Amino acid sequence: MTESPYTPHSREDVEQMLGEVGVASVEELFDVPQELRYEGGFDVEAKSEKETVEHVSKLLEENDDVVEFVGGGHYSHYVPSVVDHLADRSEFLTSYTQYQPEVSQGFLQALFEYQSLLVELTGLEVANASVYDAASALGEAALMAARVESGSRVLVPDDLYRGRRSVLENYVEGAGLNVEGYPTERGNADVDALEELVDDDVVFVYLESPNRCGAVEERASEVGGLSDDVDAVFCVGSDPVALALLEPPAAVGADVVVDDASVLGVSAAYGMGCGFYVTREEYVRQVPGHLVGAAPDADGRRAYTLTLQTREQHIRRERATSNICTNQAWMALRAAIHASLLGPEGLVDLAERCVELPHDVASRFDEVDGVTAPAFDRYYFREFVAEVDGDAEKVAGDLLERGYVVGVDSGSRLRVCVTEVNEDEVDGLVDALEEVMG
Amino acid sequence: MTYDQARWTRDGVFEPLTVEKDSTEVEVESALPDDLTRDKLELPELSEPEVAGHYIRLSQMNYGVESGPYPLGSCTMKYNPPFTEDLAGLESAAVHPEREESVQGTLALMHGLQRHLEVIGGVDAVSLQPPAGAAGEYAGLLIARSYHESRGDERGEVVVPDTAHGTNFASAAMAGFSVVKVPSGDDGRVDLDALEAAVGEDTAAFMVTNPNTLGVFEREITEVAEVVHDAGGLMYYDGANLNALLGQARPGDMGFDVMHFNLHKTFATPHGGGGPGAGPVGVVEELAGYLPEPHVREDGDGGFELYRPEDSIGKVHGFHGNWLALVKAYAYIERLGEEGLCSASEMAVLNANYLAERIPFEVPYSPFHHEFVASAERDAAEVAKKMLDHGVHPPTTKWPEIVDEALMTEPTEVEGVDGLEVLAEAFHAAAEADDEDLAESPQRTTSRRIDQVKAAREPVLSWRDLDIEK
Amino acid sequence: MNFEIPDELLYTTSHEWIDPDSGRVGITDYAQDELGDIVFVDLPGEGETVEAGEAFGVIESIKAVGDLYSPVDGEVEDVNADLEMQPEMVNTDPYGEGWMIQVEYEDVDGLLSAEEYEGEI
Repeated sequence: MTESPYTPHSREDVEQMLGEVGVASVEELFDVPQELRYEGGFDVEAKSEKETVEHVSKLLEENDDVVEFVGGGHYSHYVPSVVDHLADRSEFLTSYTQYQPEVSQGFLQALFEYQSLLVELTGLEVANASVYDAASALGEAALMAARVESGSRVLVPDDLYRGRRSVLENYVEGAGLNVEGYPTERGNADVDALEELVDDDVVFVYLESPNRCGAVEERASEVGGLSDDVDAVFCVGSDPVALALLEPPAAVGADVVVDDASVLGVSAAYGMGCGFYVTREEYVRQVPGHLVGAAPDADGRRAYTLTLQTREQHIRRERATSNICTNQAWMALRAAIHASLLGPEGLVDLAERCVELPHDVASRFDEVDGVTAPAFDRYYFREFVAEVDGDAEKVAGDLLERGYVVGVDSGSRLRVCVTEVNEDEVDGLVDALEEVMG
Repeated sequence: MTYDQARWTRDGVFEPLTVEKDSTEVEVESALPDDLTRDKLELPELSEPEVAGHYIRLSQMNYGVESGPYPLGSCTMKYNPPFTEDLAGLESAAVHPEREESVQGTLALMHGLQRHLEVIGGVDAVSLQPPAGAAGEYAGLLIARSYHESRGDERGEVVVPDTAHGTNFASAAMAGFSVVKVPSGDDGRVDLDALEAAVGEDTAAFMVTNPNTLGVFEREITEVAEVVHDAGGLMYYDGANLNALLGQARPGDMGFDVMHFNLHKTFATPHGGGGPGAGPVGVVEELAGYLPEPHVREDGDGGFELYRPEDSIGKVHGFHGNWLALVKAYAYIERLGEEGLCSASEMAVLNANYLAERIPFEVPYSPFHHEFVASAERDAAEVAKKMLDHGVHPPTTKWPEIVDEALMTEPTEVEGVDGLEVLAEAFHAAAEADDEDLAESPQRTTSRRIDQVKAAREPVLSWRDLDIEK
Repeated sequence: MNFEIPDELLYTTSHEWIDPDSGRVGITDYAQDELGDIVFVDLPGEGETVEAGEAFGVIESIKAVGDLYSPVDGEVEDVNADLEMQPEMVNTDPYGEGWMIQVEYEDVDGLLSAEEYEGEI
């Protein structure tokens, strides 16, 4: 009777159910006026699972099998098999938001631990249970700034990744804020230029470390100080692996820390992320999205629950802190599992590797004729910028033909991202670069 | 059916290490200068077996779609076929978002999904970028704003029925609109007179789902669209309830100009404990130029490319949206095909109608489709707690508010007669329980009733806030 | 349900009270009961001005959130800072320890007497 492999009804079941409901056919249950009925098809034939797997696999095999050395705001590390094994447990994967906490303790505790992890890494007090990605986390942070401070100017580095800036601009437009770039100098904030720019109308100052070229910011606390002088919200972008090594953002005056937690727990997924959002306790009622808290149950045992829900859209409607409902909880779970596996030693070792590798590979690039690497003198994390003689697009295209993907930063600059995932392929990349430049 | 959920009261792994702050402290040494690095990092240091044990135990304390009936209204908690998970995990699918020419398979899949959604929704163009339903709403409203502005028409209001999803209000506000609420008519549908009074030259869009949040089809939707269009506004379709209509009717044919799909509802991508979802936005031809960038199209040479639609609103996600969800939804649609998708809607609607016959609560608004809103006539939240003890996930409670003590129930197509019977028993048990029994529920779940007041008055939001003695 | 409605106070239709002698403002017994367990009260600072019929703060329970409307035009001369740590005092003693702000005002206009307010609820 039924044509779906995922419905259990037998023909007899359907007859019996129709009888109970008191109609002759399923068709009668649809209260749709005749003129609105759709008579056409969907132009897609049903397939067996095997056929579907073959079809989709074949489609994806059209992707060129190349080695990626590209970052630019989306990074991944080696994800241990056990992360899939655990996160794919159906009770985690198929559940939804924990509206009934009594039967959702497992996921709630995992999210509480994810929040705790971010609190430890950032030094701030309140982490939410995820937003979509780094870009939306940044947008939410600017909107929060507009709620807690007055002003209309939002300052971001002028080399901010374009996609992130575009999302930010969309987020803040409705609140009447304007996004402006402040000058950067060799991948760090130009503090003197920024000092000239800030005034009392600035409500939000954003700084990334490492930034989209991998450069570690060296004067973060000075930027924080400038932000503080004009009572703006100071927001730092940094990811959980980098934070294992870098000074906690709270120590440089950050009011909010955002970025993408999916550097842990997820392979490259065409840019799919897990935005994290951590802020000071004083802003707890201004946080967007779900928050998990601990509280006793009727037997006095510690339990977990979504809390402070009056901030959210299902209660506060148009005055909610955000429209977000569905978030990236499962990605947060994956990041938490991966972080737990690494532990503090593993996280620090991985972060150390992210400092050494770009340094070493940049030196090898620098030995290639026509290449200067790194392009400017900074500390790098995962990624560095190389200056090439000629057009970077052309060099990147030639490298792609040889099976290597690198990023293009601008005219004559390449972005090269190297981690434990691709470090064994560095020899090949350097050889290819020599060919291309030769 | 009796039910007892696992209850690991002493996990024994994370607790002593983290909660009691007895965690491992790692001294940090680095090639970076000292003033840029932290001195130490304090987190639990665990072996892989310990971590695996911890999360397996946590999973046992969580209720998912395969644990039992999950009729959470408005959320479409259907079965998520695991093979789609395998496909999303293929190494060939794990590519970096800056790639374009070298990921023709990825782009082909995205283009294929765009095409499927266009046909299913009856719209002319679809962007897959919005990462959730609310993000789709928000993208759709940005499109509406850009469209009006391009015509020199500043419109500041979004109109919604009083039964609308909370996200509709919040998305409108985030996009800079003020919200005008229209009361529903006695039949639970949009009241045309009230709508006519509410719309005007400041109306940017009217947002509604169909069937609406009561499960009732807006039979006068064509007239509704006329009223809104006459006022110069756009019609926005909230796709949350599309699982009711596959193959029966299409939003595009009802006069809607902009819509979003919820891939995690209608197209079976797992809800992941709260997300990720995906909320592709679909539009009619006239609005196609406003879609988020980049958008996928055929390159005219047998391949695919990314491009910026000419009047694009820009981006609503840093890259291309929730890719893993896109793979799973595409695989689901290909697997079921037209017949399977239509059948899914038919069985979803049959299930809701059958279940409504079997429960002891009145359903004030009908005819309903894939979900119904029953009135508990006593505290619906308490009713839900009692249902938990019967091995089912309860319905969405206390919403929409136009039904007294609402139990918004959506069994989806994945329950058979037996599953629906289990659900019906749970409803009966809750209806028959005395007040004291309700107040003491649940008993058989991992935790008992949680002190929500304490949780909100004294928020404990991380290990650091826990008041635990060493 | 019988709600306490002291005779000496004046009331708004949005369920606030004002003590015309002291200028203290709070919410009524009925309002606290409707809201349920209060978890948070957001109040203005001393010296801020309030306007009759305009929101001066926000009150939250677990499941609901509402604006607090001022009964009069005036200036806030004192704020009940204890509510920050003990918002439950609004539930336990809405006319006493649960007061919210004290307003220096000139006139009262359009407010309800206890009897009129009782008719409202």
